[in-house]
Amino acid sequence: MDLLDQILPLVQKPARYTGGEWNIIRKNWGEVELKVAFAFPDAYEVGMSHLGLQILYHIVNSRPDALMERVFAPWPDMEEKMRERNLPLYTLESYRPVRDFDVIAFTLQYEMCYSNVLNMLDLAGIPLRTSQRGEEHPLVIAGGPCAFNPEPLADFIDLFVIGEGEEAIGDFLDFFRDAKSRNLVRKDFFPEAARVPGVYVPSLYRVAYREDGGIVKVEPVQEGVPEIVNKRVVRDLDKVSFPTRPVVPSTEIVHDRIMIEVLRGCTRGCRFCQAGMIYRPVREKKPATVLRQAAELVRQTGYDEISLTSLSTSDYTPVRGVINALIKEHAGCGVGVSLPSLRVDNFSMELAKEVQKVRRSSITLAPEAGTQRLRDVINKGVTEEDLMAAAEVAFREGWQAIKLYFMIGLPTETDEDLDGIVRLAREVLAGGRKAGARRGRLRVTVSVSSFVPKAHTPFQWEPQASLEVLKEKQAYLAAGLRERGLVFNYHDPAVSFMEAVFARGDRRLGTVLEKAFQLGCKFDGWSEQFHFERWLEAFRQAGLDPGWYAYRRYDYGSVLPWDHIGSGVSKKYLVLEHQRAMAGKTTDDCRTGTCSGCGLCPGLDVEPDYAGGMRDAYLPDTIQ
Amino acid sequence: MPIYRIQYSKEGPARYISHLDLLRSFERAGRRAGLPLAFTQGFNPHPKISFAAPLGVGTAGEAEYADIELIADLTAGEVFRALSGVLPEGLRLIEVRLIPDRSPSLMAAVDCATYRAVAKLDRPFNRKELDDAIASFMARPEIWVERKIKAGGKKKKNIRPGIFTMSGKSENDIIILEAELKTGSNGNVRFEEVLEAFRETVNLPLNGGFVLSRTGIFTGRGQEKKTLW
Repeated sequence: MDLLDQILPLVQKPARYTGGEWNIIRKNWGEVELKVAFAFPDAYEVGMSHLGLQILYHIVNSRPDALMERVFAPWPDMEEKMRERNLPLYTLESYRPVRDFDVIAFTLQYEMCYSNVLNMLDLAGIPLRTSQRGEEHPLVIAGGPCAFNPEPLADFIDLFVIGEGEEAIGDFLDFFRDAKSRNLVRKDFFPEAARVPGVYVPSLYRVAYREDGGIVKVEPVQEGVPEIVNKRVVRDLDKVSFPTRPVVPSTEIVHDRIMIEVLRGCTRGCRFCQAGMIYRPVREKKPATVLRQAAELVRQTGYDEISLTSLSTSDYTPVRGVINALIKEHAGCGVGVSLPSLRVDNFSMELAKEVQKVRRSSITLAPEAGTQRLRDVINKGVTEEDLMAAAEVAFREGWQAIKLYFMIGLPTETDEDLDGIVRLAREVLAGGRKAGARRGRLRVTVSVSSFVPKAHTPFQWEPQASLEVLKEKQAYLAAGLRERGLVFNYHDPAVSFMEAVFARGDRRLGTVLEKAFQLGCKFDGWSEQFHFERWLEAFRQAGLDPGWYAYRRYDYGSVLPWDHIGSGVSKKYLVLEHQRAMAGKTTDDCRTGTCSGCGLCPGLDVEPDYAGGMRDAYLPDTIQ
Repeated sequence: MPIYRIQYSKEGPARYISHLDLLRSFERAGRRAGLPLAFTQGFNPHPKISFAAPLGVGTAGEAEYADIELIADLTAGEVFRALSGVLPEGLRLIEVRLIPDRSPSLMAAVDCATYRAVAKLDRPFNRKELDDAIASFMARPEIWVERKIKAGGKKKKNIRPGIFTMSGKSENDIIILEAELKTGSNGNVRFEEVLEAFRETVNLPLNGGFVLSRTGIFTGRGQEKKTLW
């Protein structure tokens, strides 16, 4: 702490680097066999908002033979001081150097944090490339949604864990402990590790390329290494371990509240959405489990807000009953309930109303596209009537600010679809005026992101719209949305471009990543830290064209860089869905009972698991 | 509603908890402790917790004060027991007292605070030289410092009237400076600015920066000063 005390007064937000938060677990280093550092490649306040961190921290630390400590990417001001004074990357529990651990486990939530992965390894004094590391170095592993296309990081990560981590981490640690007791060297360790279900060891696969740069095949280099690594999936959310004593930060973080996951997966089947594909099947927690965990969490954290998290909380079958019960039990102590994402429908608005009794939150609605035609293409089952009705309810109930979320650059998009965004925004604004919202306070924010084709989705073959086209589209919208009460937000399309490159990239991008790191790329998800020209320089130096990755239409027959990673959803289904999209045909929500045949349940031997008890009435997307 | 005055220390990692975050930390601790916290009315209710004087981020506090209002009558001992087990690392409860109705607010009561700065030296520093430097520093009629103001500009301020006492000692490779400074809503002198001004007058062979602590907060000053109980 001595050196830290000299540095911390010189940096912004020093509480990011001190540890000591409520509920941290500090084990006796000498008495624990397996030491794991959980590395989040972004700032503390982002990483601490990530429920997965709390879950794995709890699971690993529940094992008597293991400990897990946390480390986050230091902000550039802190990094500068650390490098100046040769302070290596350390964990917040014991202030020990990360390189002293057995395993460093990165979570990959977003492609634009890859440069931070490399930077953190470097700050830890660990060679970047798997091939440069030896027996004296920790094992570097990674998981999270981006591990579903692990290839861009294949040169740097020793092994990936594909899919849900709760059970996989235990299996992996059991194997690791055994391997450690047998003093397995890396050469012998990796082939055995590859036999643990869900574990992907990239160095044990050979990629053969065609002359045009495409992939001929990806195959294991030796016997016993699986050709396809299938994701891990938890069967029962009620039985799986969930942390009721999460670490409570002493400084404000992005999601500064209790997070209870009420369901995993999403049945809607939006065709651009990777989460909707890779977290299948839907599994709901029983209300009794949610209520028990909530009561325990309120007591153990002292937070004043309970957020029911999931990809689509208003789809949670017993959602209304659970919200009412939570409010009844906790509102008296000033503890509110919040919903992170609302669907565009009446039912969701009613839920928002319930929640609002305790604490007012803002309303965000995500129609995603401006016309019915395009919403059908992406299978977003929302109609204009849904949106207008939802907005009307919101204004009537006293909300004065509504945020509308759209995507541009979607497959088949034309100017007409952009006009649709403008029209919807103006109609919502007009609705607000009609409902009597005060002119000065009334605000409709249109937030627009750029479509990024993602692996394992029906749109994985689609090209991204070019940078120039995206800029034109943004300018077009900006011109149309100029009106008092309308606010237009959009993302830097250059970031989306890089995101698309890495989302669909292959392992040759490792060279680009390494060069980008050397050129000082870090925190690329933060617009003020993103330097596009450095990335372009990195591509030049590596002799690769980013446009080849982002702007190319992949064909159904070609081998994709992530084909050897199994999400459980069949490629045949993705092709079918892509074809339906191009034909403007929608596909039913899997919750309605009409199976769309994605192949997951028979393939992984799982089933959707609903919490039972019918919702008051199952509401389709139309208002009744 | 009863108000409880708590004395606590803020050390170790807790030194880096900002003033705003400290309020949140106590609120959460209060809820973990199961204390019936009183809240302000209105759209965004806040717990009725107030502090004697904000403490700069990074400065330790050895005897800080906060007032917490509850909506039920508990004994001071009950509040102490409930709260002492639920604070994050580095926040430590020293004492809790129920304060009489209509006591002046904590903030209004504060007049001065005592501070200590400790630093390592590259080489021993002559004690006499240090005493002389402090004496001549304190003999100055005016000590002007620049303060940043909200609008982004700067403002000059004479801090000399707010430096009530200052002393120092050096032993081997350690130097310790202590001061009693004007604190509170009627004027506030920050120890950092005192140290900075002092270091401009004497060349201290420091190895690294000063580690700062606020050792006490008082009402009155000099011989008259009293703790905030």
